[in-house]
Amino acid sequence: MKILIIEDEKELVGTIKNFLESEGFLCETAYSYFEAEDSLSAFNYDIIILDLTLPGGDGLDLIKLIKVRNRQAGLLIVSAKNSLDDKIRGLDMGADDYITKPFHLAELNSRIKSLARRRHFEGANELIFNEIKINFDSAEVFINDTIIDLTKKEYEILLYFIVNRNKVITREAIAEHVWGDNISYADNYDFIYSHIKNIRKKIEMNNGLNYLHNIYGIGYKFSER
Amino acid sequence: MRLLQKTNRAYFLISGTAFIIAGVVFYFVISFFFKDQLNEKLMSDIKVIISTIKRNGTLPNYYPFIEIREVSVQSERSYETVDILIFDAIEKKEIPFRQISLVDSINGKKYFIAARDTLLEEDDLLEAIAIVTSSVFILLLISLYFINRKLSLNIWKPFYKTLDELKEFSHDKPGFRLSSVSKLDEFTELNKTLEKLTQKVISDYQSLKRFTEDASHEIQTPLAVIQSKLETLMQYPDLKKDQAELINSAYVYTLRISKLTQTLLLLTKIANDQFPERRAVNLSELLEEKINIFEDHINGKSLIIKKEIEPECFLETNFFLAESLVVNLIGNAVKHSITGGIINIRLDKYHLEISNPGKPLSVPALNLFDRFYKTDKSSDSQGLGLAIVKEICKLNKWEIRYEHKEDLHKVIVNF
Repeated sequence: MKILIIEDEKELVGTIKNFLESEGFLCETAYSYFEAEDSLSAFNYDIIILDLTLPGGDGLDLIKLIKVRNRQAGLLIVSAKNSLDDKIRGLDMGADDYITKPFHLAELNSRIKSLARRRHFEGANELIFNEIKINFDSAEVFINDTIIDLTKKEYEILLYFIVNRNKVITREAIAEHVWGDNISYADNYDFIYSHIKNIRKKIEMNNGLNYLHNIYGIGYKFSER
Repeated sequence: MRLLQKTNRAYFLISGTAFIIAGVVFYFVISFFFKDQLNEKLMSDIKVIISTIKRNGTLPNYYPFIEIREVSVQSERSYETVDILIFDAIEKKEIPFRQISLVDSINGKKYFIAARDTLLEEDDLLEAIAIVTSSVFILLLISLYFINRKLSLNIWKPFYKTLDELKEFSHDKPGFRLSSVSKLDEFTELNKTLEKLTQKVISDYQSLKRFTEDASHEIQTPLAVIQSKLETLMQYPDLKKDQAELINSAYVYTLRISKLTQTLLLLTKIANDQFPERRAVNLSELLEEKINIFEDHINGKSLIIKKEIEPECFLETNFFLAESLVVNLIGNAVKHSITGGIINIRLDKYHLEISNPGKPLSVPALNLFDRFYKTDKSSDSQGLGLAIVKEICKLNKWEIRYEHKEDLHKVIVNF
């Protein structure tokens, strides 16, 4: 899966690139409007990450170009302006999703995987990890083919973990993913803790393994260990 | 006071005074000339009488206008002018007369000759002058009023148009122009100056807006870099506990700055009215939806939510701002409520009321909506939630107030 990252901050691009490559994506970069124009004209991409504030031109103009040259690509807009106008205009012009800078890498990863799912695995609406199976259409989770009863938030958290497996996820990233960015109270940690406790219990009740590990002082990691 | 009213009042005062002075002067001038004329006439009358007596030897006598009688005084007396009152049998009152008299010897006899004529009665004269001056005065006022009205309609028309256009002026509408044209230099100049001023306001505003957005962008980008580096650093498998704690602490504070910048940008944007898209927002639905977000917090504190939400309450406003208002108010109530408390949420077409039981405020209620005002200094909340709520209310011209009764904190928004 090929991703084009259009973003002028080289340090940020580097980190995003490393993170996404560790997730198995093939990444190319463009640091300016013109580089982006060149890359978009020459190659096809599956997913494009576009920062709207670019040197050399308006990011919104690039959307038009993408819609002509790379119509099948999934388009994720990134901007520091948490301006609703840009968001609405971007989505109106055909962007698939929108993420505000600064973002959690895990959140970016989750958005990209969701885009990729929608683009490439039409019909294949399942994600399987060892004994865990997730059906996206029905939002159901199976352990060893037995359905387990998760609340909406537990489902969201589990999915977030599986999509970001083998990565350390901070409590803040989980909180923002589940509750949005309008609530960020420190006492969210307790709710995350109790949701995760419930998920573990429900998986173990159906003879699933505990893949959810505490990372001291930071958060959690979903992995086989 | 309208300009027309003011000028009319001034005209009235000035012309009133002028007419009173004119009336007085008029009175004295008229009576002077009249008396002068009368004297001349009476003098010539006496000359005619003397010559008549000399010629005819008869004594004409038309009392009270001419009176001649023989007198036996030694010396001749020259002309003598007096004003006297003579009783008129017909009018049955005393009438003022001017009399010019002379003692002269004609044909060897001495005669007292007096010629008289009625003087104008003072009050008649005054009355006449008063009638004339006041009717001219009233006529003048009426015409002034109509001329003024017409003038103000015509001359001031461009001015009022300019005024109306200025009322519509908004600093975020570039290309603002005044359309009224006036032949009067003053108004042309006024419009030119106003246009220059408004252009300046618009360009200043634009650059301030650009600055705020650029500054926020410039801050957010390094923060995004720091945040992503720290998240990458966290991925190292052999982190020791104390290392992890250091990273996490740096991470949490980075997130805090980033959140703060975003919130300040939001406040600036609300204050600058940069949320132009307005539509009918279903506040009832929004409220229910946002209460659900706080489900965990509500259960965690064993709070009871009592809702009295009238369905289908629509408000013409910006959706994002309405959302922000609701989330901040509910969040605030949930956060400051005591464990096991009852939160009342009431909504109808005209108000939104949210109340929660809690400790008495440790700060004056007046400052509650100020930026960075925290009831608890050690709390890691930004102290910006209610400031945002206040700005949103101000922008929408909603009234917001806080009440405190028997440990119950209540915030009321009147739409």
